[in-house]
Amino acid sequence: MRALIIDDEEDTREIAKMSLSILGGFEVIDADSGKQGIALAEANKPDVILLDMMMPFMDGPATLEALHDNDATRDIPVIFLTAKAMTSEIEKLRRMGARGVLTKPFDPTTLALQVQEILKGSN
Amino acid sequence: MNSMNSIIDQIQRLNLKIVHKGAILVLVPLVFELIFICVLTGLVQGAEQEIKQQVRSKAIISQSNTLSKSIYDAGVALVGYSVTKSALFDERFNKVVKQIPEDLDELRSIVGENPRQQDVVENIKKITMNGVEMLNQTKSAIDSNRVDIAHFRARHMYKEMRNIADNLQEELKQLTETERKIERESPEKQSRSRTILLVFIFGGVITNIVIALLLLWFFARSVKDRLDVLTDNSYRLAQSQPLNPLVGGNDEISHLDSVFHSMAEALTEATRKERAVIDNAVDVICSIDTDGKFVAVNPACFENWGYTQMEIVGKRFIELIAPQDIGETIKAVRAIRAQEGDLQFENRVRRKDGSETTVSWSAYWSEKEKAMFCVAHDISIRKTAEEAVKASESRIRSIMNHMIVGLVIVDSSGRIESMNPQAEKIFGFTTAELEGRHVLCLFADSKFYSEAKIQDTDTFWQTLSDQAANKIKEYEGLTKRGEEFPIEVLLSELNTHEGARFIVNVVDVSERKEVERLKKEFVATVSHELRTPLTSIRGSLTLLSVGALGALPEQAQKVVSIAERNTLRLIGLINDILDIEKLESGKLDMVFVNTGLQDILDRSEQSVQAFAQADNISIDIKPSQAIVYADADRIVQVLVNLLSNAIKFSPPGASVEVITEETFGFVTVKVVDKGRGVPEAFKKLLFQRFQQVEASDSKKKGGTGLGLAICKGIVEQHGGHIGVDSEEGKGSTFWFKIPAMHTDSTLVVNVQEAEAGSGASS
Repeated sequence: MRALIIDDEEDTREIAKMSLSILGGFEVIDADSGKQGIALAEANKPDVILLDMMMPFMDGPATLEALHDNDATRDIPVIFLTAKAMTSEIEKLRRMGARGVLTKPFDPTTLALQVQEILKGSN
Repeated sequence: MNSMNSIIDQIQRLNLKIVHKGAILVLVPLVFELIFICVLTGLVQGAEQEIKQQVRSKAIISQSNTLSKSIYDAGVALVGYSVTKSALFDERFNKVVKQIPEDLDELRSIVGENPRQQDVVENIKKITMNGVEMLNQTKSAIDSNRVDIAHFRARHMYKEMRNIADNLQEELKQLTETERKIERESPEKQSRSRTILLVFIFGGVITNIVIALLLLWFFARSVKDRLDVLTDNSYRLAQSQPLNPLVGGNDEISHLDSVFHSMAEALTEATRKERAVIDNAVDVICSIDTDGKFVAVNPACFENWGYTQMEIVGKRFIELIAPQDIGETIKAVRAIRAQEGDLQFENRVRRKDGSETTVSWSAYWSEKEKAMFCVAHDISIRKTAEEAVKASESRIRSIMNHMIVGLVIVDSSGRIESMNPQAEKIFGFTTAELEGRHVLCLFADSKFYSEAKIQDTDTFWQTLSDQAANKIKEYEGLTKRGEEFPIEVLLSELNTHEGARFIVNVVDVSERKEVERLKKEFVATVSHELRTPLTSIRGSLTLLSVGALGALPEQAQKVVSIAERNTLRLIGLINDILDIEKLESGKLDMVFVNTGLQDILDRSEQSVQAFAQADNISIDIKPSQAIVYADADRIVQVLVNLLSNAIKFSPPGASVEVITEETFGFVTVKVVDKGRGVPEAFKKLLFQRFQQVEASDSKKKGGTGLGLAICKGIVEQHGGHIGVDSEEGKGSTFWFKIPAMHTDSTLVVNVQEAEAGSGASS
């Protein structure tokens, strides 16, 4: 399972990477911006993208839109990672095409499991 | 005279009416006159009879004499004839003999119906006729020259004739004797009759005069005297003197007198009442003469002005008027005298003690009485009240003018009447610009609805009345420059004497909205800015503590666990604070759907399972088939919170029970523990923020003191209730009640979310 983490916070990226790779056995690549993330997604075709909501220049929703606009990345499931835990916002993100939403701070011990469950559920 | 009086009294006792008395006055003399005439007529007739009697007697005597003479003449003529055989005697004889029956008839007719005299006349007739027969026989003997017979006859006749003549004389004597007596007595009788007649006439006239006088006297007594009493009474009434006693009787005069007395009594009563009214009037009532002096005044002058009646009467009116009002008062008095009618004016009267009081005068000038009648009503209290009202109005106006809330006063159809300066400031209009316009022009709705269309203004006003009457409602306002801005509006009805008015209370909430927006932004920022580093810290510590990065030395493991636990606590606190903030600002978005309660129960159990096991607490959840209409995540949050509390406060080895009940469209979930219970006094406080039964609980048991407040907010936002039944030392039952399955399936709280929901489900 190859996962792409797009988050401007390097520390968060690092924890998520460790959590997914060490505890979940994922192959993880990461990007610190939406733009970079799109490029990596195009290039590496990950199985799942964990996308941060709030990022400078190009935020989560914008990145998602760009990914969906891109034929190469359109079908890659995107799971948002957000510190905004409002139900209505989660619904809004789902409507935008997000496969799932995970709230921060996430539990690193169950992160991989939750990602897998979301992907399973969507299938 | 006394007997007359008593008669009159008796007559009066008969209760005769005036008409009866009048009748007496006319009829009594009339009857008397009639009697008098009748008697007089009788007397005259008697006298006449007497004369007739005398005439008749004379006639009878005369006729008897005539008859006697005729028989004598016949004898003489026969003697003459027998001697001479002269035709002259023969003629004479025949004539006399022929005359005798006529004389008898004449006598008979004079005697008339008198039976005794008729008998006498019959005898006379027989005797006479015998005599005539005898004379005729003698005549015949003479004629036939039978002297012997004649002589014989003559001798015989002489004897016979003597008898006849004697008888006749006797009868005639008998006949005329009565008549002669009558004739003899008649002049005496006639003289007596005349005397009686004269006496009667004279007596009758005298009596008539006496009766007339008596009647006059009686009439005067019974009518005129009493009328005089009445006349006197009218004078007495006019001069307010006591009336004469009631005149007696039961006639028109006594009725009139009785009515007059009643009228006088009524007048006296009315006067007394009038006097009483005047004497007890609160207002001063007075009359002022042409010199401007008080003529009369009622006792109220003392109460009102401190002067007694004695002190005021004779005093000049103007002396009582406060100097500053004298000019105006003189003008008013002149106006009253000029127009001879009612006029009212106000001035200040100076009381005896020197204080002044405001008085409203109603005055009337009477030209007849040459006086001004006035009623002076003290209006100082009214004036004071009016001033108080003015002051109150001015105070209210001042309050209105200084209120930070904009006030727009509109009529019952929403037309603007006035507004306070704050409202002018909020909308940028002046009151003058808005007077008469519809309040719609102050709302952004006026961009779509026309103020000129009555239908639009009515619809808008109706909506505004329905939505904002006595409750605050948000709208978009519109300034004069056409800028929209958020306002809060509350409509309150105002009952004025001019009809219903409405106060449109307007608060410009632009600033508050901006603050709210900033706060929201701040919360978002804080949540992000805090959560981001916490994500790294928590992640790092968890990875360490679970040994994902390799086993740690025991001491290190212990420290990492402490760090991790406190990080989680910090995360919990941040989450709770955010939740509370959202709940209070109504921004804790929820999506209500019909959810199986069992799912909620399972998820909650999972969440607390590890924690319960660690504390050696067993959780016993009774299965439920109920469907609730709820935001499942939030109800899980509530139940987890209640379960965590129950576990925290249960003694080791105890069990926590979860029971569900379904009643009347609601589902109640109860969490029953065997903990220390909640003191009675604390039950209400428990659901407020940062309230824990013991101050040390947050340290010993963990938790922020916000959990139950959040639970309460969430449950109430579901339209439910939350509470606790507890007995100290015996455990507690925390329960919440939320709506059961909603028949309309999925419903969401607002449109935005509805759109989000429908998008997600497609």
